[in-house]
Amino acid sequence: MTASAVLVRADEAKRTRRRGGIVPPWWFAVPAVLVYAVVVLYPSIAGAGSAFTDWSGVGSARTFVGAANFKQLVHDDQALGALRNTLLLTVAIVVIQNAIGLLLALGVHTRIRSRMILRMVFFAPVVVSPVMVSFLWKFVYNPAPDSGLNAALGAVGLGGLRQDWLGNPSLALWSVAFTVIWQCAGYSMVIFLAGLEGVPAELHESAMVDGAGTVARFRHITWPLLAPAVTINVMLSTVGGLTLFTQIIAMTNGGPGYATDTLSTVLYKQAFVYGKFGYSTAIALVLAIFVAAVTFLQIGYLRSRETTV
Amino acid sequence: MALDRSVSRRRLLQLAGGATVATALGGALAACGGSSGTSSSGTLKVIGVGDQEPGLRKVLDSYKSAHSGFDFNLSFAPADQVQTALRTQLGGGNAPDVHVVYPGSGSAMSMVQLSKAGLLADLSSQSWTQKVPDGFKGAFQNDGKTYIFSPGSSMLGAIYNKKAFATAGVEPPTTWSELLAVCEKLKKKGIVPIALGAQTPWITQLIPYALVPGTVYAKTPDFDDKMSAGQASFADSGWVDAMNKYLELQKKGYFNDNPNGTTYEQATSMVGTGKAAMAVQVSAVLSAFRAAAPSPDDLSMFPFPATDVAADNWIPAGVVVGIAVSAKSKKSDQAKSFLEYCGQQDNLNAWAEAVSCVPLYGDAKVDAALTSFLPLLKANKAVPFMDQRWPNAEVQPTHFAVVQQLLGGKTTVQDALKKLDDAYKKSA
Repeated sequence: MTASAVLVRADEAKRTRRRGGIVPPWWFAVPAVLVYAVVVLYPSIAGAGSAFTDWSGVGSARTFVGAANFKQLVHDDQALGALRNTLLLTVAIVVIQNAIGLLLALGVHTRIRSRMILRMVFFAPVVVSPVMVSFLWKFVYNPAPDSGLNAALGAVGLGGLRQDWLGNPSLALWSVAFTVIWQCAGYSMVIFLAGLEGVPAELHESAMVDGAGTVARFRHITWPLLAPAVTINVMLSTVGGLTLFTQIIAMTNGGPGYATDTLSTVLYKQAFVYGKFGYSTAIALVLAIFVAAVTFLQIGYLRSRETTV
Repeated sequence: MALDRSVSRRRLLQLAGGATVATALGGALAACGGSSGTSSSGTLKVIGVGDQEPGLRKVLDSYKSAHSGFDFNLSFAPADQVQTALRTQLGGGNAPDVHVVYPGSGSAMSMVQLSKAGLLADLSSQSWTQKVPDGFKGAFQNDGKTYIFSPGSSMLGAIYNKKAFATAGVEPPTTWSELLAVCEKLKKKGIVPIALGAQTPWITQLIPYALVPGTVYAKTPDFDDKMSAGQASFADSGWVDAMNKYLELQKKGYFNDNPNGTTYEQATSMVGTGKAAMAVQVSAVLSAFRAAAPSPDDLSMFPFPATDVAADNWIPAGVVVGIAVSAKSKKSDQAKSFLEYCGQQDNLNAWAEAVSCVPLYGDAKVDAALTSFLPLLKANKAVPFMDQRWPNAEVQPTHFAVVQQLLGGKTTVQDALKKLDDAYKKSA
C-alpha cells in the first residue's frame, strides 16, 4: 500500500512537470519591443533624418540640404584628421589591450594563492567612471617635473624621459591610448578568464603525458579554444576604440589643437560647440555605418577561426 | 563528457553581459549620486557659468532677502561645458528659468544665436535697458531688442604679482619693448614671466585678444565691419603681428614650460604664489587669482602693451558673460522681476564689484586693480572682445585650436590665420 502511494505521487509529479513546459506565446515580447522601438529606434531614425538638414540643435528652423553635409565631410580637414586619429587609437587599443588582457588572464589562471585578489585588482579600474579615471590620469600626466609620472621618472634617475604627456601634440594621442588600455585591460582579462575556464583540463593532462611543454600547449590547445573569447574581446575593443569619446574630452578636449580629436569628439563639437547639429548627425551616421561594417567583417573572419571540442 | 565542460559562445556572452551590467550599474549609481533635485514649485531655477558665481550668488541672496517667498536653485557649469549640458537642455525644451548667455554673436550659447532660435525672453521693456551705453548695445541686442543682462565690462590685461615684480626690480611696462625687457629681468631672477595655461581652451585666446586692439584696431577701428563686408581678413591684418608676438614670447622662454600641458588652475596658482609674475587674463577672474595668493593685495592689473607706440596700445574690454530669461519659462514674471532687480544701480554695482568689472552704467567704485584701464575706456580706446563680433560659433574654437597648434610647433601663423578666415566665412 505504501509503495503504491509513492508511485502514484511520483506519477502526478511527472504530469505536473510536463504541463509546466508550455512555451509562452510570442506576443509576450510585445511590451519590451514597443519600449525599445519608442526609446531607441524612433529617436535614432528621426535623428538620422537631421543628417540631411542644416539644423542648429536649438529652435525649429531646419532646411533640407540633401547630401551637402556628407560632401562637406569628405573635404573637412578636421574630420579627416579625426578619422586618422580614431583608426590609430583603435588599432593600438585593440592590439595592446587584448595582449595585456590575455597575459593577465594567463597569469591569474593559476593556482597561486593571491589569484582572487589579483583578479579584483586588475578588474577594479573597469568599474571606475571613465571621467574619474581621466581626471586622475590628467594629474599623473602633469608636465611639472615634480608631479605625477614625471616625478616618478625623476625619482628613479630617468629624468631625461620626462614629457609633456598631454601638451605635446605628437605624444598626447598615445598618452590617451595608454590610459584607455590601463582602464580596459581588466575587462579583456575577465573575458579571457572565462574562456580559459572552458578549456578542458583533460586535454592539457593528455598533452602533458605526451610530453608537450607550456608553449606548445598554449599554441595548440589553449589558443584555438580561446577563439570565442578572442572574437568577443576584439569586437568589443574595436567598437570601444572607434567610438572613444569620454577619456578624450576629459583629458585633452581633442587638443592640443586637433591632435587628439576623434570622430566622436568632432561630431560632439559640431553639435554643441559649433551649433551644426545636422552636420554632426551626418558624421554620426557615417561613424555608425563604419562601425557596423567593421564589426560584421571582423565577426565573419573571427568566427571562421573558432573550433569546438 | 568533455563537451559538457566547454564554454559555448552564448554562455561567454552571458558572462560578458554580466560584467557589462556591473559596469553600467556602477556608472548609473555614480550618475544618481551627482544629480540634483528638480526645481520645485515656486523656486527659480538658475544656471550660471563658473566665473559668474561671486556676483550672481550675491545678487540672488540679496533678492531673496528682499522678497519673502522667493527661493532659487542655483548651479554652475565650467565655461568649457556650458555649451553642452545647457544647450542640450535648451534644445530639449528643459531650459532653466534663468541661465547664462554670452554677449554678442560669437559662440553657440551667445545672445544672437539663442534669440534667433526664439529661446530668450524679450527684456526691452525693463528700465535698465535704456541705460546700456551705445558702444555695448551690440552685445545685448539683436534686431533692436534686448535679450540679456550683464553687470558690466571686464578688462583684459595682465594680472600681475606685485612682489614678483618688486623682486626683479621692474614696473608695469607701457610698450612692447618695455614688456620684453621686464620679462627678461624676471626670467633672470628665476621667475616665470608669464604663466600660460593653454591646455584650458579659452585661455589660448587671451594673449591675441590683448595684443590685437593695438596691432589692428588702433589703426582700423572699423575692422570688424570690414571683416563682415569681406574687405578685410585675419591673414592680411595686424593679427599676423599679434600672433608673431605671441610666438616671440614663447621662443624667448617667457612662458612656463609646457604651456599646452598646463591648466588655467595651475597658471592661476603660479601667479598667486609668485612662481610666475603675471598672466594675461580677464579681470572677472581676479578673485580667483586673489584666492590663490597669500594676500589679495599682492595682485593688481595693467594693460598688456602690444606696440612700441604707447598711444596705440588700446585695450580689450568685453561685456562680461550675462544672464537671460528662458522664453519658455513658466516663471517668466518672477525671473524678469529678478533681472529688473539686477539692473538697479546698487545691485549692478555689487555684482560688478564681485567680479572685478567696470559697472555697465552709473558712476561707481571700481576695483583698485583696474584704475590703469579707466583712462583708456574714457578715451574710447577700448574694443569688445573679438569673438563678440564674430558671425558664427566656429571661429572661436578654431582660434583655440590653432593657438595650441602654434604653441606645439604644428602650424605657422599664416596657416593658422587662414584657418580662422575659413571658419569666419562659414554660415552661422
